[in-house]
Amino acid sequence: MSGTELTENELIEERIDLSRNTCPNREQRANGINVWYGKASDLAKEARSGCLRQRERNFQQSSGCVLNFYLSVRIGTIRDAVAIYHAPVGCSSAALGYRELYRHIPVELGRPANFDLHWMTTNLRERDVVYGAGEKLREAIKEAERRYNPKAIFVLTSCTSGIIGEDIEGTVSQVQPEIKATIVPIHCEGSRSRLVQTGYDAFWHAVLKYLVKKPEKKQKDLVNVASMLSYTWQDRLEIKRLLGKVGLRVNFVPEFASVEQFEQLSEAAVTAPLCPTYTDYLARGLKQEYGIPYFLYPSPMGVAHTDEWLREIGRHTGKEREIEALIKEEHEKWLPKLKAIRQEFENFKGNGEKVEVLGALGQGRLLAQVPYFDELGLKSSAAMCQDFDNLILKDLEKLIAQMGDFDILVNTFQAAEQTHITNQRDPDIAMTCPFQGGAFKRDKGVTRVHALRSDAHPWSAQSGYTGAIAFGNFLLQSLKSHSYQRTMKEKTQSTYKDWWYKQPNSLYYLKAEE
Amino acid sequence: MGISEPLETNNVISGAIEAPRYSCALAGAYSTAVGIFGVVPILHSGAGCGIGQLFGQFYGGGQNAGGPYGGTSTPCSSLVEEHVIFGGEKKLESLIESTVELVNGELFAVISGCVPSLIGDDVGAVIRRYKEKNPEIPIIHVNTSGFAGTSYEGYEYFFDSVIDQLLEEKVPKEKGLVNVFGIVPFQHIFWKGEARTIKTLLEKIGLKANLIVGEFDALENLKKIPAAEYNIVLSSWVGHETAKKLEGKFDTPYISFPGVPIGPKQTSEFLRVIGERLDVSADVIEYLISSEERRAYRFAEYVGDVLLIARPHPYFAVVADSNSAVSITKYLANEMGYLPDIVQITDNPPEEARELINEELTTGLETPAWPEIIYEVDAYRIRENLKDRNFMFLLASSLETFISGPEFNAIHLTVSFPSYDRIILERSYAGFSGGLTLMEDVMSKYAGPL
Repeated sequence: MSGTELTENELIEERIDLSRNTCPNREQRANGINVWYGKASDLAKEARSGCLRQRERNFQQSSGCVLNFYLSVRIGTIRDAVAIYHAPVGCSSAALGYRELYRHIPVELGRPANFDLHWMTTNLRERDVVYGAGEKLREAIKEAERRYNPKAIFVLTSCTSGIIGEDIEGTVSQVQPEIKATIVPIHCEGSRSRLVQTGYDAFWHAVLKYLVKKPEKKQKDLVNVASMLSYTWQDRLEIKRLLGKVGLRVNFVPEFASVEQFEQLSEAAVTAPLCPTYTDYLARGLKQEYGIPYFLYPSPMGVAHTDEWLREIGRHTGKEREIEALIKEEHEKWLPKLKAIRQEFENFKGNGEKVEVLGALGQGRLLAQVPYFDELGLKSSAAMCQDFDNLILKDLEKLIAQMGDFDILVNTFQAAEQTHITNQRDPDIAMTCPFQGGAFKRDKGVTRVHALRSDAHPWSAQSGYTGAIAFGNFLLQSLKSHSYQRTMKEKTQSTYKDWWYKQPNSLYYLKAEE
Repeated sequence: MGISEPLETNNVISGAIEAPRYSCALAGAYSTAVGIFGVVPILHSGAGCGIGQLFGQFYGGGQNAGGPYGGTSTPCSSLVEEHVIFGGEKKLESLIESTVELVNGELFAVISGCVPSLIGDDVGAVIRRYKEKNPEIPIIHVNTSGFAGTSYEGYEYFFDSVIDQLLEEKVPKEKGLVNVFGIVPFQHIFWKGEARTIKTLLEKIGLKANLIVGEFDALENLKKIPAAEYNIVLSSWVGHETAKKLEGKFDTPYISFPGVPIGPKQTSEFLRVIGERLDVSADVIEYLISSEERRAYRFAEYVGDVLLIARPHPYFAVVADSNSAVSITKYLANEMGYLPDIVQITDNPPEEARELINEELTTGLETPAWPEIIYEVDAYRIRENLKDRNFMFLLASSLETFISGPEFNAIHLTVSFPSYDRIILERSYAGFSGGLTLMEDVMSKYAGPL
């Protein structure tokens, strides 16, 4: 461990270069990694000094790639557009729910009654791999225009299109003159990066490069919010409600946004985060190209952070006074409810001990949720985090200073490691993404870390004040229900052999340094 | 009678398609492995191939979680740029070693994807080396890729590898043992219940049925394959390659049916044909048929009023894979008096199978109203083909759930892949009482006070 500290410029590649076809990988841009276990303070120190390195695992599980963790399910939710996967047929199969994702939301809650979503695959086959598939992509783009007359056509790349050396930009520039829609190539070859977050950056790069227009006018009351599908429809409504009360409008991108909403990103007053690591590239790009101010911390999760989030927006929109009044009004309503939840958690064990929670989250959610747990009167002495990079380093340091040290396991959906740490830590509540193999089989509480789709039920809210209360109650509920996971633990075979749980190291399969 | 010319004259759909109702060959091999309890799939691929199929195959196949070996539980070499340049063989080597050490399982199936195929990894050599060192560990390699075909072909590739790499020598035939092929886990959304029903039916006539999918004891069941007297294929095309290969290698004859039988008529016919081929006593068969039929039809009396008062003799449309489309259409037309308007087949069966499918859906129907039959995989064209028609019921996938009412004024039920709006655990329409279950599902969509 060297004593040197890197400057901010060395930690993060600040400049966004839109003359390039795509973004740098998170590995290059912010020294991103997805394997680590230990104290958060050590992680921060290693990152700060530039010693933090990605390591190989000898055992690894499928965890999502640049295309197929996020983009394949989400790009297809953009309205008046078509997504074309330049890939074999399997790369887009995760998108098959496209006609259903948002249909569960009643029109009364603000879903447009008439909308239609579209995606196609160029269905690459052996012949295409041998002879190239530029012609096929051209034809697919033309067919997309013929069928739907969209405003934008996204072209998503794949391992196969990348390895066979498809000239995507060449094809696009050749066919664009014949096409009314803006063609937006996204370089999301699964094999380009170990970090699924590279996919976010690759997407925003394409949005900034091709879709965002020069501002025609400034919209002083417009706030850009990049929202992910792990934030629910209720969260949108809550954010709209709060900002609406002070006369601000929200531009929610990318999910379920119209192409026009992307074009207007350059006219907003500020870009605000739901998840800092997700919003980062877009926020920086809008600042660099169009001077739109942004902030990345905090997210509107929990009462204190929601207060701060609103104040930040107030500062950038000249609404400080109105925001303070809003916060006061909201507190009167929600703080008693928060107190009641806190009390219930505090009395739960009956011996003065706090309820212990272990979360499995993205790095953005880590920054938001750990303080929120504290607000609820919960203890989180460890957290699992999908990945880590220098983009959140300063905020992580702040978090440690504020909350004290805790342990972090950095892994992207490594179910064996997650099951191991869950067993070892034995928290009262284990929060998990729903797809964690066997981590749910245990004697104590288990719940989801977030709702996963356009869930419109108020009970699934997690942002703002209503979300702080709803999610608190939700966690209380999870403490009271163990029958499924306990029964499953008892009645089904574990995926992993017994020795795995008996040895102490969650990162047992970390490859030795060569 | 209108049978549209298929779009393609060969079995390769070459153009771009919207939302086809299947995934790639890797996904099919992977789903098949996950569908045989005790097989541990090891993906030699990019890191997203497993999670992509969790959404695309397992959730699509009736909202099923990945379980102990699927989705994020699946060992995966997670290849990136550096492996593209330097090869992924070493990574795979340590992954196989660690998987066998860590994971409870009976058979390890390395399934390779696009990346190793494109960069020329010699996966076969990696596995041969591993086998030399560890002869006691059962391991196979399914040498496929995303661009090698569809889910259905992936199913065949899986068994192809089993036959070549796991089933070494001829074994003595076991009297009354039959294997069943053609039910593809997850792609055929009712696969678990179908497998169980077929197994029970065959056991009732004294046969020993080896269904393989949806069953425990993976290794034992797979190793039993050569001992079978007969192979039964429940599809007009899926599983035929496997059956032919088994015929060549182990002299096992095979017999095929267009799909899994639904309701008494199809089930009786299925049993009679099997009985004749396998020399089962006609008395046993007929006794079973008569007692099961008696019960099924007695129960069918109960739908009489709702059928005849609420929605009698309606036109219906089907959008499904060939197995499901044939069996469902025949049941509705031949046992419920529904009128087939259009049937769209979504699994791109080969030319030679289409003749049989067309025959089943025309002369195989006890109704003068023959449906228009269209072979189509493109979700946009499927939707277009449903416009301006008479059908009142649409038996399709969940892609049609939300458009069925507003666009076609039809009552919709998900019966085929993808099925995001129905959780399918053990439910199925197979067998004598499967028809009753299908009626329950269809009629519950509109039932109300008469």
